[in-house]
Amino acid sequence: MTENVKTMNEMRRDMPPLLLSHSARRRQRIAAAVGNGFLLAVTSLSALAVLFIFYFIARDAWPFFRLEGVREFFTSVRWYPSADHAEFGALAMFVGSGLVTLGAILVAVPLGVAAAVCLSDVLPFSVRQVVKPVIEILAAIPSVAYGFFALVVLAPLLQESGGPILGVAVWIVGAPLAALAIVVVADLATDRLRDRTRTRVRWLIVGLLGVGAFAALAFAGKALGGLQIASGANALNVSIILGIMALPTVVSVSEDALQAVERGLREGSYALGATRAETLVKTVLPAAGSGILAAVILGVMRAIGETMVVWMASGNAAQIPSPWYNFLEPVRTLTATIAGDMGEADHVTGSARYHVLFLMALCLLVFSLLCNLSSEWVIRRTRKKTGG
Amino acid sequence: MRLQTRKILDRTFAGTGVLAIVLMSAALLILLTPIFIRGAGALFFTGTVEHRRLMLEKFDRGNRKQVEAEIRSAQAAREPIYRTIAVFDQQLAHGDAKERAKYKKPLKELKKALQDLLGPAPGSVRPMLMRDQYGQTRWDRAQIKLARVLYREEWDYSNPTKSGVLLLKSRAADFAGTPIQELFSYMEKNLDQLLLPRRTLYWQFLTDESFDSHFFGGIWPELLGTIYLTLGAMLLAIPMGLIAAIYLTEYARESRLLNLLRTCISTLAGVPSIVFGLFGLAFFINTLKVSNSKSVLAGSMTLALMILPTVIRASEEALRSVPRTYKEAALSLGAGRWHTIWNVILPSALPGILTGIVISMGRAAGETAPIIFTAAVSVGKPLALWQTLSQPTPALSWNIYNLATEHEAVDEVRHVQYGLVLVLVSLVLLLNLAAIILRARIAKRMRA
Repeated sequence: MTENVKTMNEMRRDMPPLLLSHSARRRQRIAAAVGNGFLLAVTSLSALAVLFIFYFIARDAWPFFRLEGVREFFTSVRWYPSADHAEFGALAMFVGSGLVTLGAILVAVPLGVAAAVCLSDVLPFSVRQVVKPVIEILAAIPSVAYGFFALVVLAPLLQESGGPILGVAVWIVGAPLAALAIVVVADLATDRLRDRTRTRVRWLIVGLLGVGAFAALAFAGKALGGLQIASGANALNVSIILGIMALPTVVSVSEDALQAVERGLREGSYALGATRAETLVKTVLPAAGSGILAAVILGVMRAIGETMVVWMASGNAAQIPSPWYNFLEPVRTLTATIAGDMGEADHVTGSARYHVLFLMALCLLVFSLLCNLSSEWVIRRTRKKTGG
Repeated sequence: MRLQTRKILDRTFAGTGVLAIVLMSAALLILLTPIFIRGAGALFFTGTVEHRRLMLEKFDRGNRKQVEAEIRSAQAAREPIYRTIAVFDQQLAHGDAKERAKYKKPLKELKKALQDLLGPAPGSVRPMLMRDQYGQTRWDRAQIKLARVLYREEWDYSNPTKSGVLLLKSRAADFAGTPIQELFSYMEKNLDQLLLPRRTLYWQFLTDESFDSHFFGGIWPELLGTIYLTLGAMLLAIPMGLIAAIYLTEYARESRLLNLLRTCISTLAGVPSIVFGLFGLAFFINTLKVSNSKSVLAGSMTLALMILPTVIRASEEALRSVPRTYKEAALSLGAGRWHTIWNVILPSALPGILTGIVISMGRAAGETAPIIFTAAVSVGKPLALWQTLSQPTPALSWNIYNLATEHEAVDEVRHVQYGLVLVLVSLVLLLNLAAIILRARIAKRMRA
């Protein structure tokens, strides 16, 4: 540390003498006040930037209400901004944004929380040192590179062999889960029985459920395996990629939350005879619950605000998929609409077409503000509760 | 529950966690592998004689004598093709009208396909577009174009319930019984003599301008644009971020105002990147009028705003991690507050601050959405430094989007797209690698 810190002699040379004349002291005080004020001003400037953003986005969004009213925007799915009788129904975009965010969360949260638990409580320190850079690199890769991958590699793959891939995925995910569930159910159901009958009943249950699960998996696998995906640029594609992009946030924030749970809690649980899994599931995860909630919220923010991936690979069809949870249809999100339409709307500054995009941005902004405030509230509450 | 089941559950639980991490690493690998392998193909590929001719004519690169000899040898190999076609043309001109009508369209298509593969026929008018002046410069593209010469594509819509099926019809069959029929097998067999493929390292991909909307040439304007935008953003964000961080850690007392400032900064961090782009358009360009239209300056300002929270947070963390004792020692020696910060706290926090700065640099370099409306154009010349104040620029990130979705021939410039992605990703990864190394050194020093 010493090489960076100046030696005492150097410091003495740089310093003003300790005793000052009256005027010099006043000058120094004024300088300090001015300096302090300057620092505060710059800090406020960077903090107030966000207010500027709100103001300027809202200012350009406001004329839309005057020009077109508000009902159509939130309730209609008819998006024809360049028609003679322009229509600005953005409901499909809201649904699209919501759908891909939901998909991203379904990918990112289970994986992310599992990885965070593993990082904080299971893996040894040396392995953690290797995994950390992986997470950092995932977070660092530019979104346009993710989008390019989604468009050029993943979309053709889904289009050509998406059905079989989904069919196999059902088996890979479903089979171990089903096996585990069956073992646990059989165990819980036969807990109270006497020894002799117990084994028999257990095997009976395992057999019955096993056949049922196999049939269900076979049915689901076949149904999905036969699917023809019309276009690889769809909500599923985007959800997977957005999920991977949100992973680093989810992992690192929930890992912090897990680390913040004090040791005593874990030790108490172990002392009572719980296994590691039981300790984590029943003690540590509930204690870190609000931190993990904050991680999920931040993941949602990352997914909903992402532009390039959805613009490139979501298909950009302004429609609500039917049924609404059909991930295999193309969707269009708010961010992609802003990015895609501004190029044309820019020439007609002042038209409803221009202002509607600012209204969309305002909606995104308000949503991210709400997310941010709630995640901060959650974290602050946890801190208070744990007294940290 | 039985002990055994509990054990199984415990194992599975740990296994799931490990699986999640393995999946995450696999995702990274799957993502990076095609980018690195195919991206390297933009610089290192099997080039044809057309590539060397292009290099010689446009840049005066390569051994003139040798390349000219190669061109002559390729021309000699191509000569029978053009001669046969010319003879056939003559035959048709003097033959009956029915024959002429029958072969008119196939012959025209064949000539077009040939021109795509080998460049314009000798003696024909020099085409306007550069993409028509040269044949295929890359061997992999040449194979595809050869298939276009050998087969013509036809869509079969006979089954109305299904989408169309692509059929490949042999052109040789179209010309059965004519001298041209022989040509196809000749070309298939002798393609390497027609184009003389050779392993090529085209490192100038990084430093050449692009020609004819990225059909030829390199990515220098994009690379330079990204460098300008990133450095400009850092130039604005570092001083502001650092000052804000110093104020927040060293000067400010806990108060309502401070909480408000912190909330503002974290809200700024959560603003979607596309909203920054709109703000840049509405504020920097339409209101402040820093430039008449898009410019590097406006883009840098927008990017700076976007990375400001990251810089502030990282610097704050680094400043906070300086041991309290340092500060106390400096103060007890009679140093003023400012002297303490300048001489003691900042130097010891410097590596940590640098780490944060380098990471946010990577973020600024890779962002696309904020520069769409404020700085980016699809095609442009490399800018001189003073032009950055008023002119827009191409940028790596924007051109990846643009070439992959809006280009007139997306498949033909696939290698350029991969090259752009490779350069951008390597740039960002190098910056992050630097950050990781920096941090490892700090950790080492802290332990010592």
